[in-house]
Amino acid sequence: MPTLLQKLFSKRAVGSGSARDCSTAAEQCWASAEFDLAQIRLIVYQDCERRGRQVLFDSKAIHKLDTSEPTADETKTPPTRSGACHIGSQASEKDKPPTYQYTRPASDVNMLGEMMFGSVSMSYKGSTLKIHHIRSPPQLMVSKVFSTRFGSSTSGSTNTLQDSFESMSQAFPSHASSIGVCRVPSAPLLCLARSASFFAGLCGMLKPREHVLISHAHAHSNPVDMPSRGHSEDGDSGIARSASLSSLLATPLPSPGSSFSSGCASSYQRRWLRSQATSLQHGPMPRWNTEEMFSLSDESCSSNPATIRRKKIAISIIISLPEREEENHNFQEFFFSHFPLFESHMNKLKTAIERAMILCRRIAESSQRVQVYLCRVMEALGEFRMTVWNLYMAPRISEPVWLSMTSQSTERNLLCQRFLKEMSVLMDHGAKSQFLSALLTAVLTHHLAWVPTVMPSSLPPIKSACQKPASQTVDLLAKSHPYNPLWAQLGDLYGALGSPVRVCRTVVLGRRRELVQRVLYILSYFIRCSDLQEHVQPQGQMKNPDNPANPCSSQTTDPTPEKTLPPKPDPLKHTACVIEKALNPESVPGTSVEQNNETLLTDTKSTNPSSSLESSAVRPECTEMAQECFGEDTDSVGGGLEHILANQSPLLHRVQFHIGSPRETENEGQAGGLSGAGCGLDRKLHQRLLTDIQRNESSDSALGDSDEETSQRELYMATEQKEYELPLPSYQVESRASVNHFGRSLLGGYCPQYMPDFALHGISSDLRLKQCLMSDLEHTVLHPALDEPVAEALCIVADTDRLSVQVVTSQRRVCEGGRLGRDVMVSNLVHTLITSVRQLYALNIASDFCVMHLEDRLQELYFKSRSLAEYLRGQTRVHVKELGLALGIESSDIPLLAAVASTHSPYVAQILL
Amino acid sequence: MKQLKTIDCIKRWRHFTGTSRRYSCTQLVKMNALVALCHFCELHGPRTLFCTEAVHPPSPSPSQSGPGIPGDRDREADREGEGLTMRANSSATQRADMCEGCRSLPASHPGFVSVDSETGIRYLSHQHPRQPQLFSVVRQACVRSLSCEVCPGREGPIFFGDEQHGFVFSHTFFIKDNLARGFQRWYSIVVVAMDRIYLINSWPFLLRHLRLTIQSLQNTALKVFDSEQCVCPQRAVRMNSAFSPAVFPHQRSGNAARSLTSLTQHPNLWASLHSSFSWLLKACGSRLTEKLLEGAPTEDTLVLIERQTEQEEEMSGWDGAEGGGSNPQPSQSESVQVKDFQFDDGRQEDLLGPKFKSLRHLRQVLGASDFRQLAWHVLMGNQVIWRGADPGLIQSAFNVLKALLPVGCVRAVLYSPHYEEAYRCNFLGLSPDVPIPAHVSSSEFSMLVDVLNVERGCVNPISDDDILSLYQFNISSANTQPTDKGPTLLNKIEVALSNENLSVEVVSLCLLCLKEEWMNKVKVLFKFSKVDGRGKEDTQKVLALLGATGPGEEDNVRLLKFWMTGLSKLYKSHLMTAVRGGERTLSQ
Repeated sequence: MPTLLQKLFSKRAVGSGSARDCSTAAEQCWASAEFDLAQIRLIVYQDCERRGRQVLFDSKAIHKLDTSEPTADETKTPPTRSGACHIGSQASEKDKPPTYQYTRPASDVNMLGEMMFGSVSMSYKGSTLKIHHIRSPPQLMVSKVFSTRFGSSTSGSTNTLQDSFESMSQAFPSHASSIGVCRVPSAPLLCLARSASFFAGLCGMLKPREHVLISHAHAHSNPVDMPSRGHSEDGDSGIARSASLSSLLATPLPSPGSSFSSGCASSYQRRWLRSQATSLQHGPMPRWNTEEMFSLSDESCSSNPATIRRKKIAISIIISLPEREEENHNFQEFFFSHFPLFESHMNKLKTAIERAMILCRRIAESSQRVQVYLCRVMEALGEFRMTVWNLYMAPRISEPVWLSMTSQSTERNLLCQRFLKEMSVLMDHGAKSQFLSALLTAVLTHHLAWVPTVMPSSLPPIKSACQKPASQTVDLLAKSHPYNPLWAQLGDLYGALGSPVRVCRTVVLGRRRELVQRVLYILSYFIRCSDLQEHVQPQGQMKNPDNPANPCSSQTTDPTPEKTLPPKPDPLKHTACVIEKALNPESVPGTSVEQNNETLLTDTKSTNPSSSLESSAVRPECTEMAQECFGEDTDSVGGGLEHILANQSPLLHRVQFHIGSPRETENEGQAGGLSGAGCGLDRKLHQRLLTDIQRNESSDSALGDSDEETSQRELYMATEQKEYELPLPSYQVESRASVNHFGRSLLGGYCPQYMPDFALHGISSDLRLKQCLMSDLEHTVLHPALDEPVAEALCIVADTDRLSVQVVTSQRRVCEGGRLGRDVMVSNLVHTLITSVRQLYALNIASDFCVMHLEDRLQELYFKSRSLAEYLRGQTRVHVKELGLALGIESSDIPLLAAVASTHSPYVAQILL
Repeated sequence: MKQLKTIDCIKRWRHFTGTSRRYSCTQLVKMNALVALCHFCELHGPRTLFCTEAVHPPSPSPSQSGPGIPGDRDREADREGEGLTMRANSSATQRADMCEGCRSLPASHPGFVSVDSETGIRYLSHQHPRQPQLFSVVRQACVRSLSCEVCPGREGPIFFGDEQHGFVFSHTFFIKDNLARGFQRWYSIVVVAMDRIYLINSWPFLLRHLRLTIQSLQNTALKVFDSEQCVCPQRAVRMNSAFSPAVFPHQRSGNAARSLTSLTQHPNLWASLHSSFSWLLKACGSRLTEKLLEGAPTEDTLVLIERQTEQEEEMSGWDGAEGGGSNPQPSQSESVQVKDFQFDDGRQEDLLGPKFKSLRHLRQVLGASDFRQLAWHVLMGNQVIWRGADPGLIQSAFNVLKALLPVGCVRAVLYSPHYEEAYRCNFLGLSPDVPIPAHVSSSEFSMLVDVLNVERGCVNPISDDDILSLYQFNISSANTQPTDKGPTLLNKIEVALSNENLSVEVVSLCLLCLKEEWMNKVKVLFKFSKVDGRGKEDTQKVLALLGATGPGEEDNVRLLKFWMTGLSKLYKSHLMTAVRGGERTLSQ
């Protein structure tokens, strides 16, 4: 059902538009399809050892009864597309708040409960995350299952709430038909609940009789201990494991930057650490925030651990997917790529539900108790729906300057021209108040991702001097040590590069649309992140039977009669050749076969079981053989393979597990410096083979070797070398600019209302900003979407009407006169920087030169930050005058330079604190 | 070859500027995800059948830079606690409780490996993961995917997990089996990772491709099923035979649980699955790539690279001319010295005797006034001649003085037996008896420092530090200009040098800042005057906006003009050509 407004906006934010567009018109909506608030359903479920499962909330079972609009189901009314989902305006006009009817939960809740908790409940007491895809009707379900925590005084927990529910359903067995209205005097809730139009007056009157919560006795299940770390024996393997082993494996990660002072690599380092932190190498290693529980008491008392496990609460969000295939696809792509944001809002919802439960327990009268509970939860759900709607539907900056310059080098000149033009206009506008200088000071101080983009590259430029080189180091890192580029990008946008980690957002406020959009446009140059490219198989390739994902590709479906292989390949010969190649890649195969063959023959013939360890070090990496075995004639070669397998079986009766890191590298890894790890490894493999063979020659004595004498290296080889090598399937990929990434989605346009996710967006009114900002910032610190601990959350609020710039922080400091945050001190360096760019532009110097100059000047800031860091290293007191005279750093520059310095010299923050 | 040398050059340059960053290989093997095929065995419950892991090469890790190369001891220490060895006779216990349906590779099979040559990542497949710490992770994922988590319709994707057990993307599915209860067997493919977000981000990708894999297995098995049904319709058999649920699985003795290979009649199934899974891990890991920009290299870097390239070309020219002769001799004295001067600070350590350690040291020895004069001449691009008997001392003086200039402005002849013209070098070291030509000594564009030995008759110098006890320095120049006004850069350096609170490192970084700042002004002036060819009036405006006007203006302008000669060729040619295309018209 495309609306008229929908037609006014072009389909996609990305890939359209050009540099010539006027910034003021170039804002586009993200989503390709309408998104309905009713598509989001909330279910709260409880699984109690004693009582089985109960639905504690199901938004589908709540219907609004409104005397003025009796039939309207508000959640079905989509907000206008031009605006965000609105809060407020209509609700206050209504005299009669709506009432709600709670009917029997939908028929699918039993199944959904099964899915949330699983058929066997887990004894794990942290929170569990689950996502289900329901085929029909198409839905996505995200569940978080928490163990509960009660205060000692109120160990009754949700029982009171449940009791109320249950007593009600008992008292009114004909629940479904009996529809009544209940009135709750809830003025404070009312004002809070004036959220979306669909939500208007929700928390008015409720009737207890409609609330039916069905207890599912059959769903009751006993917790089962899952095999997990630290248990002495593992199921079907018999591998002895111990807790001490696990703890040994979990070697602590290097703390960010603690041993790293060179200052060249903050972005490289962040990514490397991420790769480390999310590595499977150490096995599961809880990183943080694992003890997240569902709190049923506002006191944080410790309770009997035995009771903790008994009760679990699941919060599920069920999103109905669009019917149309393309819309469905688009939404899913958006959902999964933006999951951290969804999850963060779910956490907020969870907190609200917790509070609602705690609050309602204080109410003695049971019908009222339920009403308060429902009101609160509905209110929180309304917030959640609205936030998600906004996240998906809000307008975006269609052409963020920095990203566009990164991705479209051909348009660079035009982009530069337009950027400088807009910047000049803006500077002239706020010249007296130094508005732009203040704003850029704040943005450069907190959105720190610009720093790595000006750190001088030490590699020769590939194209031209002014074009910034793409980081080859990071590229190499990404290939060999996968980290999540989306995560990296999110951190960039929020400026989470410093130490300690701070995240920042910027909101531009103002009634003049054009002005706000101009500011947003300019800031989209300074708030930087990497650009993402997606490499996927072309659509046609997916259906190709030779697709590597298809394991039965050229495998025949009707078994063909076995062909006879002309000359049966002698596996030993082949292996020998391969080894020979490995030893001396440039020589002609076969020249030294005999010698190697000897080695190998000794090896395979070895009957001494205790020497098998040594001999297994020279297992073949038999590419050629594998190719022959798994080529076209797969069927016929089967026997050959079996034969090979049989030959090698004696070696495998004793499996060596080796953990940790055998000595492997000589300094050669460094010889290449930044150059590929791949070739280094090849070389190492060859050397290793060589070493092994040398060892093998004298391995007769290995029989008597004690464990200690057996070098770790050999053990490593033993496990590393013996597998059959198969070629890695090559595959064709299509590279395209990624659409669903944060760089495109979190740089918002001029929105009617404040939203909590965007790294940058504009708003016309600060009403909601004032209401929500502090709690949003606090929430960000508690549940950062970034998936790593955050020390502080900040928001820069630039008011284009009053030409003021303030910074609001989660570390609440008292601000005078009811102001949100503190005014920004203009950094002199920033001011002179933009002034001189402006003047150069005024002198009619080519705009791309002006932009180059701007980059050069930003680089100066980086160099200055290094001076400052070095200065602070040995200093206990900072002499501002000294800084000014010698380093050209004034007191107004110190916050900026210290923040920049903290990206490369983490100690700076500690000194300045 | 050239690339390698360039990198080498950069490394040396980094060392030289103190910004070196070393990548040491830590002994880490990492896996960020693994794929496993699991099966719910009728007899044994959930079992892991086949598992593909990605083993990463030792990683380059950013490490502390510092003088020297970390010894083996360092790396030895790193490894302590990591080098843990565990052995287990795994096969015995494992086999006791296994049937054909629970097994993929025969116990004797060594597994498969594929190596990604580009990254060095090795994809290993075995029945169980090789790393014991991953064993229980996979086991957990397997049990949860097949006996705990509930998927509507029993076939489909689920994501689940927690921080303790890792996170799992699981897809369950049935495979047709003529002999199985209900004529089908239940399997799942799980992808396990610790990075929750990454795994969830990859959901659409994983689902798309795992579906292909699963459908392919299902279709193949269906054909086998159909053909078996033709031969021996099981339904009829079962209907006719006395059926007891308790003994049912065991009745079909021998075939109690058939392997997936048998169900698909695919003899190389595991090899193919290995390839599929390896590919999946690789494709999933490289699905998204970042384009991350770094700052442009500094002019100093560019100039060093250009010089290095030139030298290589010269060398290869000689090689060609002399038929690959071993030692190219011509003008060696000069070129080698120049090279040493630029790239290698270590060489001067070979020369014994007293040396200047820093600009501050030089300033202390010469005195503030003489130092000012000397530095002024250096910054203005005048020829600075040091004449004395101790080449080591002179070299060390040049070494600290050259830090005042961009690399591109440094042309040095460290120690020569005869005078060299100013166009060849702005730093010239001479032995004591070399005469200075009259046109030079009378020129205001040169200055001479005579290093004279103080006659003390004492054989042992008191200490290297005490240069003044050994030498006396006479400074002379025909220059009549005042050297105490500008340039601004020198004034600032002097403030830093005279402030003893600032360490040598701070001073050198401060100098780096100042040089970069002025280099950026140089670029603007170059663009303005040389590229665009603007008039005097405009140029004056630019000088004002650059902060080059005011006191010391004349010196500032001279400095800017001299430094312009130090711009890299690459930069200059870039501005001359490329930028012109994007010029705005005056009407704009």
